[in-house]
Amino acid sequence: MMFNPIRTLFLILLFSIASFASDTRPTLTIYTYDAFAVSWGPGPKIKEAFEKEYDCNVKFVGLSSSIGALRKIQLEGKNTKADILLGLDTNIAQAANKTGLFAKHDLNTSNLDLPVPYTDEYFVPYDYSYVAFVYNENKVKNPPTSFEALAAMPEDFKIVIQDPRSSTPGLSLLLWVKEIYKEKAGEYWKRLSPHILTITKGWSESYGLFLKGEADMVLSYTTSPAYHIIEENRTNFKSARFNEGHYGQIEVAAMLNSSKHKDLAKKFLQFMHSETFAEIIPTANWAYPVVKTKEGLPKVFETLTQPSKMILLDGKTVEAHRKEIINEWLRALER
Amino acid sequence: MLQDVKRLKNSLLPGGFVSLLLLGFAFVLFFTLFLSQDDASVAQLDSRVFSLLKFTLYQAFLSTLLSLLVGLALAWSLAHQSNFKGRSLLVALFSSSLVLPTLIVVFGLISVLGRNGWVNQLSLYLFDHSFGSYLYGLTGILVAHVYLNASFASRSLLHVFESIPKEKYKLAKSLNFTAFQRFIYVEWPALRTTLLSIASTIFLLCFTSFAIVLVLGGSPAYNTLEVAIYEAVKLEFDIAMALKLALIQLVMTTLLVLFSSNFRTSVGNVRTSALYIPWSETKYVKRFQVAIIGLFSLFFILPLLAIIVDGLGAEFTRILTEPLFIKSFFTSIGLATVSSILTVLFAIFLSDTKRNFILGHRLPSNTFSKVLNTIVSFSGNLYLAVPSLIMGLGFFLLSQTYEAPIAVWSTIALLTANVLMSLPFALAILAPVMQKTGQRYDKLVFSLNLSSLQRWVYCEYPYLKSSIGYVFALSFCFSLGDLGIIALFGSDDFLTLPWYLYQLMGSYRTSDAAGVALILLAITLCVFILLPRLFRSSVAKDN
Repeated sequence: MMFNPIRTLFLILLFSIASFASDTRPTLTIYTYDAFAVSWGPGPKIKEAFEKEYDCNVKFVGLSSSIGALRKIQLEGKNTKADILLGLDTNIAQAANKTGLFAKHDLNTSNLDLPVPYTDEYFVPYDYSYVAFVYNENKVKNPPTSFEALAAMPEDFKIVIQDPRSSTPGLSLLLWVKEIYKEKAGEYWKRLSPHILTITKGWSESYGLFLKGEADMVLSYTTSPAYHIIEENRTNFKSARFNEGHYGQIEVAAMLNSSKHKDLAKKFLQFMHSETFAEIIPTANWAYPVVKTKEGLPKVFETLTQPSKMILLDGKTVEAHRKEIINEWLRALER
Repeated sequence: MLQDVKRLKNSLLPGGFVSLLLLGFAFVLFFTLFLSQDDASVAQLDSRVFSLLKFTLYQAFLSTLLSLLVGLALAWSLAHQSNFKGRSLLVALFSSSLVLPTLIVVFGLISVLGRNGWVNQLSLYLFDHSFGSYLYGLTGILVAHVYLNASFASRSLLHVFESIPKEKYKLAKSLNFTAFQRFIYVEWPALRTTLLSIASTIFLLCFTSFAIVLVLGGSPAYNTLEVAIYEAVKLEFDIAMALKLALIQLVMTTLLVLFSSNFRTSVGNVRTSALYIPWSETKYVKRFQVAIIGLFSLFFILPLLAIIVDGLGAEFTRILTEPLFIKSFFTSIGLATVSSILTVLFAIFLSDTKRNFILGHRLPSNTFSKVLNTIVSFSGNLYLAVPSLIMGLGFFLLSQTYEAPIAVWSTIALLTANVLMSLPFALAILAPVMQKTGQRYDKLVFSLNLSSLQRWVYCEYPYLKSSIGYVFALSFCFSLGDLGIIALFGSDDFLTLPWYLYQLMGSYRTSDAAGVALILLAITLCVFILLPRLFRSSVAKDN
């Protein structure tokens, strides 16, 4: 059988007509990172709640990382099926903005329950947490309490981190180190590099390696241990508390200019600030919601590491220096 | 001359057309790449590019050296230990490394050599000591490259050992040579040329290695140019950077291909003839050889065993009903079928055309026909100079310029890449056989005035049958296991089995990944073992 483009086109057309005929409700397509979209993530719960409230279909498309999702949208250009991109953070949102692919949200974001004031015309926050290293208490008896202590760990102490070019926590770690070490950041990365087992594209891959026992610590969030306590009844996973303070991560979403369902997309962005959404986040995305709920946070969250302070660079500053900080990191890792 | 051409037009035209098509494709690809670079972006080469190039060359050099050493030791041992049970099975298994999907190999290696792998667990159990994590980074890349290439090299080298005239061995024995002297004076001279051509092939394969470096590299410090191109497109959307890297990569591979200039690594001879070398080894040499065979067999078989053991524990009822699995399965099988058919057709046409320029009784052999022969061969070996990621980038740029559904572009890109990837192997196998049938039957066919179809049915096909079966199996498996272009084009709407496996490995769904890995391994081995059997022919035994 030779490949026949005309026939393929015809088939695609046929299929799309067939799918239109069977369901007249609009479909809101949301690109995100895979941990959000998977069956045990927040995606399905949010989909159910939103579909019930607004007569529509929600389709989450999980990519290996949120920056990966952004790149996919860039690759697809105006033909993208995405209506919303969900999962970037404030560090990379400016870079996304520069593509000109996103639309303003016109929502009021000033009353949200966030540790820092928030204003951005394009990206809407939906949860936040603190970047931290997670370890298994049974295996690591003396967890590091600072970046210095981390670099001074024995040679065979290994961590997995994420690539700052593809993953938001990975970029956060880079900025965290930069904020503490300033012009000595490159030198610090050189010292840390023997401890880096591997650098993965996205968070899921890192966390998977860690759970398989390939590494002693994984770059994740202060709120990650809550998952193991609530879902698995295991209290041996902890996040290392660093004295210097922890880099904060505010996750955001925005709708696309090319979206054919802008009204619905805006309703979804608004929905992210509803109590329904806020109740799903802590025990499904394992992060702090941006609005307070009547019930408050689950009790387990009180046992989690509370950073002494939140370090967070302004998005515009990050964007101005992102490339050079990443290049400094790349050069430091060269051998 | 013109008369000859007229008489041979049915034999010249299809191959000529295919050759033109391939060259035209190469031209469009280069044209697209060159057009897309804007002057501002191609700045001076920065240090990052240099370090990428340095590491790519360094790891390719080490990989080649190690693969050759191990491959040579293995071939030497196998050649002199020709009478143990299961030898032919082992050799057949080693030759399957050619078609094993690289991602499968990586998966198996992690299961055996990873921090929680079999080796470490055993060592922890026995000696309370773990070797820790060593599989990520340069070590991992080297281990995987040796796994794939040493077995491949040993297969070709074993063939050389076995084709050394037995008289030489007898003479050497009468001179009372030691095993070492025997190697230096009898075996080495025969091995040298083959060794060189294998070395250049392995170097090129490692230089453009993608899946292994992507998964086991683990850090930008261990990036090859190929992976850096992928990252520039997929992680940073920095097309200018990707182009710059692609051009450097192209220059390097073209130089390498020109330098090595030949691709005759006798992939055609996969069946061992097991000719006995009239020399029984001394006790210690024998032990040494048995140890080498045993160790390498363990190294080779354990990861495959790990895939089977891990895979059997997977929930197949769930995996098999997963929509993404079903989609990727049918896409993979469909692409592999179409591209292997195309490969066989293209290779037959090209070989058919080629023999006109080689056989003196068909066309007078002069510079003109030599040049044409080179052009036709070059068009078939195009892929060696154009790594798949660069081809992918070319297609990607085309897809940005000419809008069509991404699935259409992906299909075209993957089919093209798969066909081009298998063509050099297909040509290396089919061209010599077709040349032979030409020599044997031309006079008869011309005197009986048979048509092309009759010629094909009565003369060519019976002789080519088994080779065609092998080429078919080879290109089917290549296509099935490739994780190259799909890495640029893959998405939930368009995915192949290796891409799906890569996604599963990336999202810590280990048990599902193990199941899919087993399925992929099973299909590959079945196709590789069964397809050639279907095409087995009694006439073509001696090919």
